[in-house]
Amino acid sequence: MKTVIVRPERCVGCLQCRLACAVEHSRTKNLAGAISEQVTPRPRLRIYPGRQHLAFPNKCRHCEPAPCQQVCIAGAISRTPRSTVDIDPAKCINCAMCAMACPFGVLTYAPLYLAPDKRAVALKCDQCPEREAVGRKPACVEACKVGALTYGEWQEAQEHKGWALAQAVFASLQAPPETEPAPPPGIRLWRRINS
Amino acid sequence: MRYLIIGASAAGLAAAETIRQWDPRGAVTVVSDEPHPPYSRPLLTYLLSGEVSLEKIWLKAADYFQEWGFEALLGEQVVQVAPEEREVRLRSGRACPYDRLLIASGARPRLPGIPGEDLEGVFTLRTLADWRRLDAALPEGAEVVVAGAGPVGLKAAEALARRGCRVALAELESQVLPRLVDTQAAAMLGNALLEWGIEVYCDTKPIGLAGYKGRVRALALADGRELPAQAVLFAIGVTPNTEFLADSGLAAAGGVPVDARLNTGLPEIYAAGDCVQGVNLLTGQPAYVPIWPAAVEQGKIAGANMAGANRRYPGLLPQNSISLRGFKIITGGLVQPEAEDVEIVSELDRRRGHYRRLAYREGRLVGLTLVGAVADAGIYFHLMSQQLPAAEPVTPGRLWG
Ligand SMILES: Cc1cc2nc3c(=O)[nH]c(=O)nc-3n(C[C@H](O)[C@H](O)[C@H](O)COP(=O)(O)OP(=O)(O)OC[C@H]3O[C@@H](n4cnc5c(N)ncnc54)[C@H](O)[C@@H]3O)c2cc1C
Ligand code: SF4
Ligand code: SF4
Repeated sequence: MKTVIVRPERCVGCLQCRLACAVEHSRTKNLAGAISEQVTPRPRLRIYPGRQHLAFPNKCRHCEPAPCQQVCIAGAISRTPRSTVDIDPAKCINCAMCAMACPFGVLTYAPLYLAPDKRAVALKCDQCPEREAVGRKPACVEACKVGALTYGEWQEAQEHKGWALAQAVFASLQAPPETEPAPPPGIRLWRRINS
Repeated sequence: MRYLIIGASAAGLAAAETIRQWDPRGAVTVVSDEPHPPYSRPLLTYLLSGEVSLEKIWLKAADYFQEWGFEALLGEQVVQVAPEEREVRLRSGRACPYDRLLIASGARPRLPGIPGEDLEGVFTLRTLADWRRLDAALPEGAEVVVAGAGPVGLKAAEALARRGCRVALAELESQVLPRLVDTQAAAMLGNALLEWGIEVYCDTKPIGLAGYKGRVRALALADGRELPAQAVLFAIGVTPNTEFLADSGLAAAGGVPVDARLNTGLPEIYAAGDCVQGVNLLTGQPAYVPIWPAAVEQGKIAGANMAGANRRYPGLLPQNSISLRGFKIITGGLVQPEAEDVEIVSELDRRRGHYRRLAYREGRLVGLTLVGAVADAGIYFHLMSQQLPAAEPVTPGRLWG
C-alpha cells in the first residue's frame, strides 16, 4: 500500500505539515476559510521534540492488523478498500478506547464538523482520500520541504520501528519544555489550531 | 473439525473469526442464550443516555454469520457440558457434538445479597434485555440510585443524568473508581460529577432496599440513612457465567482456570473472556479484569490454538477508559502497587485540568493514570506490555505541550 513515510532524521520541526493537515481537514479547505470556521479544524499528525533529532513527526501508520480497530467498542474503525484505517465520525462515541490501543499515540479527540451535532470524535490521519482521488499527494507530504514526509510504498516491518518510536516519544514526553519546536513565524492562528 | 463456541460476544466472535482464518473448512457453531444478533455491550450506557440509537449497537453486518459460514444458535442456552461424550446440551433438549469447544460465556452483574433485591425497580445493566427493562421503567425526572462507582456505574450514572433523572451514586469505598485511580484523579472526577448534578455518597454500605407495595422506594444504608429512589441500579461488579459447567469439573470459584494457551486442562476445551480466571501480565498473579480488549485478545489466541496453533497469552494488562462529556481518564497497569520498590511520579496541571501519574519498577513502567490529556496512553501501554525499559531517567518534566 502507498503511504506517508516518515524520515525523522530530516525533520526540522517547522510544523508546516500540521498547518496543511488542519486546512485539508477543514470544511472550506483553504487557510483563510479554515481560520474562521465554527469548528476549529485540527491537524492529524504531531511533531515531538526529539533527542537525537531536532524534532520528529508522528502519525497513523494504518497498521495491519490495526490495534485500534480491534478495541473499538462502537465498530467505528474499519479498513477502507484502499487499505487505510478509517474512523467513521457518525459511529464514533468518543470513548477513547482507541487511545489505549494505538502504540503510536496518534489519536486526538476534538469536535469535527462532519460528526453528528459537530461533537467531539476520535481524529487521526486518513491519508487525504479526496486528494488521492484526484491523484494528488497527501497535504502534509506536499507541505514538507525537507523530505521528512514522503509518499511511497512501505519497505520495512513496522513493529520494531514502532518500539523504537514508542521509546523516543516517551523520552520526549519527559523532556524539559524548552525543547518544544517553535511555531512557524507569522502564523497567528497557529496557537488556535495547535491548542 | 467441528468447533463449538458458547457465547457470541467479544471473545466468542474473535475466536470464531480466527478459527476461520486458520481452518477455512471447519464447521463453526456459535451458541448464545441472547436471542438477538451480536451487539456491543459497552454501548448499553450510550443507548441509555440516547447518545446512540438501537440500530448502531450491532457489532456485525446483518449477513455476518452467512458471510463467515458460521452456524448461529441464538436464543439457545447451554445447560451442560459433557466432556466425556464431547457434547454440549441445550435447554431446548438439543445436544451439540464438538471436537473443539470454547467457553466464552462472559459474566453477569453481582447483587450485594441484601433484603429487597426482588422488588420491582431493582436493576442491573449487562444485556440488551436489561436495558429494555430499565429504559421502560424510567419516567423523566425519576430519582435513581446507582450503587457502585466503578466504570459501569459511573457511565450509567452520567447517562441517567443526561436523560433528566436525579441521580445519586453510592460507593462502598472512600472514593469513586476505587482501586482504579488514586485520590487525586478521583477528586478530579468527583468535581466533574458534581458539576453534572450527580450526588456522590462514598463510604456507604447498602444494607437493604425499602419498598412500598412491591416497588422499591429507597436504598437503605448501614449508617441509618435512606437514599430515596424509584429505581436502584446495581453496578458493583460481575461474576463469571459458569453454572452450566458445574458437573464438568471445568469451573472454579473465580472463573474457568486456564493455562498460558488458554486451555482448560482438557485438551479439546478452551476458554476466553470474562468467564476466565485471569493472570496479570505485570505481576504474573491471578487477577480478574473483565474488559473488552482482553476478551478480544483472548478470543483470538484461544481460537488459533483450537485450530492447531500454539500461541501463548502473556496475561492481561488492566486498562480502563472513562470518557464522559469530554472529561477523560485512562488508567491501567498497577495503580496501587504494594511493592516498596515502586516509584511514583505524578504531575498536576490545575489550570488545564491535566494529571499524569506514572509508576515505575526496576526502570520499567508498571502503572499509568492520565486525566484530561489521554492521547499518549497507547504509547505508555505499549511500553508496559512489552516491558521495554523506560530509557530516560525519571524526571518530572513538562506536561503535554
Ligand atoms: C454497560 C457496560 C459497559 C462496558 N464498558 C466497557 C468499556 O468501555 N471498556 C471495556 O473494556 N469493557 C467494558 N465493558 C465490559 C465488556 O463489555 C466485557 O468485558 C466484554 O463484553 C466481555 O466479553 P465476553 O465475550 O467475554 O463476554 P460477554 O460479552 O459477557 O458475552 C458472553 C455471552 O455468552 C452468553 N452466555 C452465557 N452463558 C451462556 C449459556 N449457558 N448458554 C448460551 N449462552 C451463554 C451471554 O448471554 C453473552 O451473550 C462494559 C460492560 C458493560 C455491561
Ligand atoms: S490509529 Fe494507531 S493503531 Fe490505529 S492504525 Fe493508526 S497507528 Fe495503527
Ligand atoms: S473513540 Fe471512537 S473510534 Fe475510538 S474506540 Fe471509541 S468509538 Fe471507536
